[in-house]
Amino acid sequence: MGVGVGVRMNSVAVGLSRDLAPKRVMRAVAYGHDLAVWRDGENGLHAWDNRCPHRGMRLSHGFVRGDRLACLYHGWQYRKDGGCAYIPAHPGLEPPETIRAQTYSVIEKSGVIWVSTGNDAQGVDTGPVSEPLRSLTFFCAEAIARAAFEDTPFAGNLPQVESTGRLVAGGHPVAVLANPVTESETLIHVLTSAGVGIAAKKALSRWCEAARSVAERQAA
Amino acid sequence: MSTEYARNDWYVVADVNQLAAGQVVETRLLGQPLRVSGSPDAPLVTTADGTALPAQLRYDHIWTSPGADPRPLPDIAEAAERDRTFVPCGGVRVRCSPLRAVENFLDIAHFPFVHTGILGEEPHTEVAPYKVEIREDVDEVWATQIGFHQPQAAKSATEAIETRYEYRVPAPTTAVLYKTCPPKPEAWDVIAIFVQPLAENECIAWPWMALYDEVTPYADLVQFQQEIFLQDRSILENQKPTLLPLDPRLEIPTRCDLTSVVYRRWLKRKGATYGALTTAA
Ligand code: FES
Ligand SMILES: [Fe+2]
Repeated sequence: MGVGVGVRMNSVAVGLSRDLAPKRVMRAVAYGHDLAVWRDGENGLHAWDNRCPHRGMRLSHGFVRGDRLACLYHGWQYRKDGGCAYIPAHPGLEPPETIRAQTYSVIEKSGVIWVSTGNDAQGVDTGPVSEPLRSLTFFCAEAIARAAFEDTPFAGNLPQVESTGRLVAGGHPVAVLANPVTESETLIHVLTSAGVGIAAKKALSRWCEAARSVAERQAA
Repeated sequence: MSTEYARNDWYVVADVNQLAAGQVVETRLLGQPLRVSGSPDAPLVTTADGTALPAQLRYDHIWTSPGADPRPLPDIAEAAERDRTFVPCGGVRVRCSPLRAVENFLDIAHFPFVHTGILGEEPHTEVAPYKVEIREDVDEVWATQIGFHQPQAAKSATEAIETRYEYRVPAPTTAVLYKTCPPKPEAWDVIAIFVQPLAENECIAWPWMALYDEVTPYADLVQFQQEIFLQDRSILENQKPTLLPLDPRLEIPTRCDLTSVVYRRWLKRKGATYGALTTAA
């Protein structure tokens, strides 16, 4: 079992903190919702419905100006609370309050970005196992992806499953976080602990790929 | 989805250069496969079962209509002015509603952000009030008295100018733009977009120009226009929903979107809903 199973989850891991630099925007999926996740200039994190209220452009193609996200199509700028602050075609116009991007609750924990479709994103504390190893897309359902990590040997031995839900593969602690994108596509984030050396990380990375092959073979 | 209105319009399905090169073009129109063959002067458009559809060469493109009683193909008078340079720019395939492609063509507020340094640039983002009307006598949408600051309004432009624009929409998938001609300010350059609806969510945009420009090589004119359309494509393939919403509550326009507002209203009124989202999402 991976982290989170058995725990009542209200949030999903949409990406690794290190993959989103300040003033950048990325596309993400949480519970089937298409999202734009962005960082403002002060490192604040925001997750919005990936749709500009003006003409429906995906906000993940937008750009950050200071503490606002601007849409690529006509440059409309949105404040951190989602409200529209500026319409470049009409610089003198105060945009009506009704123009706002839909916001979601988002936090960072354990080096991971967590989004909730409710209003209280929590995330999972993976303790010392919070060193991001890598993110991979598995073309299979979430349950198959999770099971594949337990069924894939590392250096000849199956990983042990701890009571926390974490795994130990070849003596290295591993947390597997799964984000079901669709019924047949799962985004997996794998964490390990900071003390794990380069060679072991490489071996763990290859083990993740082996797990992906196991999962995708089973799903096929 | 209704093709009832759409079937009786004329659509571009190939350009003259393809037939002149002897190509047989396998394509689609309103979801149905079509074959375009023959020569520019005697084009042949046939459906999958071999039925011949009406075909004609106009504005350097091959047009057809699958309807029993097609409305007239829009007249573009400037096509008869022989001192113009006529430039079919080739097709750009876009995964979006044909109506979204036309609406984008009618939009100027995106120039500084999507065509940065060419058709617009910050801080010149303001769109001054302009006029939009449905001309009932001809059943066309017209937007007039539009002005916009452009760094390079055309290939022939040597400096930034205040460009004047007029837009005309004679059919749901055909739009014509008249804009200031940099080397000949008293005349209008004409740029049209002919949109071929492959399906409700997929189209080919065929830009065509009728310019006063005897200097710029043909290939450069095509490339200029193609570059602009590729920039538009990156927008068009990322609008949600893919279909054009006709319910005014689904997207929020502002003053500069008057052309789009009237275009949507006009489509709705006519029942021209192929490529449109007609129910609230
Ligand atoms: S669609 Fe976002 S600003 Fe127009
Ligand atoms: Fe454009």
